[in-house]
Amino acid sequence: MDSLILLMLLLLPLAAGVAIPLLPPPLARPAALAMAGAQLAMGLLIALGGKDLSTFVILQSWLPQLGLALDLGLDGVSLPLLLLASALTAMAVLATPVNQERPRFYFSLLLATNLGLVGAFLARNALLFLLAYELILIPTTLLVASFGGAKRAGAAVRFLTYGAASGLTLLAAVLAFVWLQPHDGSGPWTLSFAYGDLAQHALSPGNQRWVMAMLLLAFGLKLPIVPLHGWQPATYSQAPTPVAMLLSGGVSKLGAYGLLRFGLELLPDTWALFSPWIAAVGAISAIYGALNAIAQLDMRRLVAYSSLGHMGMLVLALAAATPLSLQGVVAQMLAHGLIIALLFCVVGMIEAKTGTSAIDELSGLLNPQRGLPFTSALLLLGLMAAAGVPGLAGFVAELLVFEGSWTAFPIPTLVCLVASGLTAVYAVRLFNRVGFGRLNNARADWKSTTWSERLPAMVLSGAVLIAGIWPQALTGLSESTTAALAINTAPSAIAASPLNS
Amino acid sequence: MTATIAGVRPPLIPPSTHPYAEVIHRLEAGGSMLPDTPENLQQIIGIYKAYAVPMDFYWRDLLYIAERVFLNPLPAFKYFISQEYLDRPNSYAGENAALRIWRGGEKAHPELLEFMAKGETRAMPKLLHHLWHDRVNMEFAEACMQAMFWHQGMGGRFNDYIAGDTYRANADRAIKAYFKGNLVMLGLYKLFPEMFLEQVRQLSYTANLGLFWEVMAPVFFEMSDLYDEGQLTSVPQAMDFLVNGIFAVAGRPIYHHVFIGGECFEIIPKSEGFTWLYEAALPYVEAVFYRTSPFRGTKSYNSQAQQVPAHQADFHYGILYADVYPVGSAGIPPTLLMQDMVHFLPPYLQELYKQHRRGEEDQLVQLGITFQRSMYNVTSAVIQALRCAVLYPLNDPDPEHLKANRHFFEAQMDRFLRPEARLADIQTQDYR
Amino acid sequence: MATILETAAGAGVFSTLLAAVDAAGLRSALESPGPFTVFAPVDDAFAALPPGTVQTLVDNPPQLARILKYHVLSGAYSRSALVGQPEWQSLEGAPIPIRRSEPFEVKNATVVTADIVCDNGVVHVLDRVILPG
Repeated sequence: MDSLILLMLLLLPLAAGVAIPLLPPPLARPAALAMAGAQLAMGLLIALGGKDLSTFVILQSWLPQLGLALDLGLDGVSLPLLLLASALTAMAVLATPVNQERPRFYFSLLLATNLGLVGAFLARNALLFLLAYELILIPTTLLVASFGGAKRAGAAVRFLTYGAASGLTLLAAVLAFVWLQPHDGSGPWTLSFAYGDLAQHALSPGNQRWVMAMLLLAFGLKLPIVPLHGWQPATYSQAPTPVAMLLSGGVSKLGAYGLLRFGLELLPDTWALFSPWIAAVGAISAIYGALNAIAQLDMRRLVAYSSLGHMGMLVLALAAATPLSLQGVVAQMLAHGLIIALLFCVVGMIEAKTGTSAIDELSGLLNPQRGLPFTSALLLLGLMAAAGVPGLAGFVAELLVFEGSWTAFPIPTLVCLVASGLTAVYAVRLFNRVGFGRLNNARADWKSTTWSERLPAMVLSGAVLIAGIWPQALTGLSESTTAALAINTAPSAIAASPLNS
Repeated sequence: MTATIAGVRPPLIPPSTHPYAEVIHRLEAGGSMLPDTPENLQQIIGIYKAYAVPMDFYWRDLLYIAERVFLNPLPAFKYFISQEYLDRPNSYAGENAALRIWRGGEKAHPELLEFMAKGETRAMPKLLHHLWHDRVNMEFAEACMQAMFWHQGMGGRFNDYIAGDTYRANADRAIKAYFKGNLVMLGLYKLFPEMFLEQVRQLSYTANLGLFWEVMAPVFFEMSDLYDEGQLTSVPQAMDFLVNGIFAVAGRPIYHHVFIGGECFEIIPKSEGFTWLYEAALPYVEAVFYRTSPFRGTKSYNSQAQQVPAHQADFHYGILYADVYPVGSAGIPPTLLMQDMVHFLPPYLQELYKQHRRGEEDQLVQLGITFQRSMYNVTSAVIQALRCAVLYPLNDPDPEHLKANRHFFEAQMDRFLRPEARLADIQTQDYR
Repeated sequence: MATILETAAGAGVFSTLLAAVDAAGLRSALESPGPFTVFAPVDDAFAALPPGTVQTLVDNPPQLARILKYHVLSGAYSRSALVGQPEWQSLEGAPIPIRRSEPFEVKNATVVTADIVCDNGVVHVLDRVILPG
């Protein structure tokens, strides 16, 4: 039964993705929404069911010669990410304009992205993970190239190039993992890419370092982190809003998840060795993202650089690898996923209504008669959440990250704290320019947003609010798993409460 | 003297080189600052009617305050107008009017009475309506009065008179009569005579404004009726009606009578010779259309950075320069007026607003802009009337006279050169 | 010679003006020795005003008196004297500009006939009613 549910999580997007091109165009959107909703519902059932997650497992041999097996499972880290992926897919479907052109093509690509995400998070086999990781590149590139903004061609090419490089490097790393293992020459190669088997690898320290370096490169291209971020601002600003939400909120988490799974879990000693550098890169990323965001004149690029900055903090927490900081990693992945999706959603709404995302051209959107007061209010919420204002999800995540990383890497943590302060700078600047001031009457020729247009932003805002005042939402599922993954021992999770399982 | 459209003979003077040359030429041809389009006409007539209904309340209540409430130290009920003042016959409407401008009745307009009974909510005791602020925004009228009171140097003899000794003596008599037997207030009066005198001056301006608007309400009602009958077909025609109205009533006396204990105290008697045109209309246009004052509570002004002009004459916060976006704060005078007008819009204007911008949602903004257009038309009428009074006819054969007219128009247009002026905006229909 | 008002009555084109003088109660003032300079608008000038203007003024003597006083100077001045100064103070208080000497223009009115000498002053005939402001 449980394995059936697990399979359904994958089959739903697959079936829907295949079925949608066969449906009449008006049905594409409801079908996609239904699929995402069903997937989310199932994920919630699993999460709130309270059952031991080890019962949700599928092991089906597929291509034993290659070592590829349908090896699916859930644990404390992948389950929340699964929920995030389905939630963001649902929000992306809702955020798609009703008059989307070529809806069947669009929604099937969206669902293919979902399939890739869910497959990657559910995979317990490195090749399966790799398959999903590579597979996701195609629909996302197509989405950007077909439906994106004016400069989508260049952005898509860049995205594809960096993504392909990431995929190839990961391929090399995964293969090296197995092939570089000492083989005593007796008997045929038994290839197994299952996580469990990989965890018992016998790589030499030198080889471990090579593999780690490749993993860092591959996932660093995906997250992204400085200096591998060349594709990100262009892609996020040219992608259509729902795609940007999914990319920044979901797909970028693949990088973090990969580092957690492959780097930290499978190569802990090497991770400990590399971690000072990783922490430094994280801190640099955070400052770089924040400073660039302050300088931006376009709202979408500003949000893109904001995302870069927050990913940097995530990387710092990963590097620190204390139980608390790893909780922070999961919390940051979830919180950032929700917040950045909210920000892109709202910025997209503003752009759709006003026709521009240039900060210089916008002002006075809070005007109650002719502005976009509701949307601007949600923008404020999103910006505050990104800045880490208590009461919202961003604060919970950042608190865990900073408190968890402080003992391991004080200087990078301090730098990230400064970066966090800088987020308030660009948040305030953006809102001051765009929300306050006098609305330009000559440009204010739009209808107000309808409730159906506001729905995804409202749901995301609600989630951000709830997570802010009920932090268990972000960390509850993952506490035990992250504690097990930690390298450094202190600080550990905050005092165990009867609610912890 | 009605202005006529110039004939086909070649112009006697070369064209103007002023930035607003097009508008000036239109004025010289007998037109208005507002372009002559059917939609403009529809908009301004509709808004005149919507303005006239609350104005009917304003003038009655202003006179009520100036004549009856007078120096009441706690005038909590000054907006609770008495039936006598609701029934007070408008001197320019009804069958018994000496100069009948409006063919309708002389008492309060039926739409006004209906609104006073029900408001936006439902029929409630007057006090509840008042506390819920579901009433006519009399605060707007008082803000206009304050503008006229505060600004100096607008022409007319009113201000000099109320600063003089005759007025002081009249006011003194009235104050003493009003507070007869009230030792506390009389004692205060002995201590602070100037304070009481200032209050009486303010009340004189209240009466002034009330008498001004008593004329404008029937003018607007008649224009609306003529338009509905199809007899007003162009914007210049509407403007001419206003010009004729201005002249017809120009000689109306402006006075301030107070009724204390059944006796009438003439604080400003009619015999002083103050006229509607010079002491009421022209100062009103200057104070309320051009100058007013920055709206308090919405924006901070740094006087050292000269964000507010040093001279009153440079103030540019009136309706002709107004920014359409009241921030939504309560109490900004144009917002109050717009809120009043939205209750009395004729159906054709409601239809028009539904078709543009956000339809019913931003009716207030749309009608605010319409109101601005209409006030440009009224200002054009005032400018044409002034030209008629002190300068030459538009079809004067003498080029020297035409040059004098041109000079006058250009000087008027110079006041709209500053960036806040909306004259350029109203030339297109897009400005909504 | 006749007084100003007798001369006006005799000319036959000042009936509106004379009626206004009576309504405003200025007859005795204008019969006094003065001397005055009176700018007298003809009947057509009053008729050219928009309808109702004169009626409203006639119904309100103090206001009418003000407009009429604006047409009177204290002292008797002929045309040649008048053109010597750009502005003259009227009895009402507001100034009367002399805009041109040839043709003789007082504010926005043209003097049709100038220098009609009377017992108590001089009359200049205007083709328009002049107004202060």
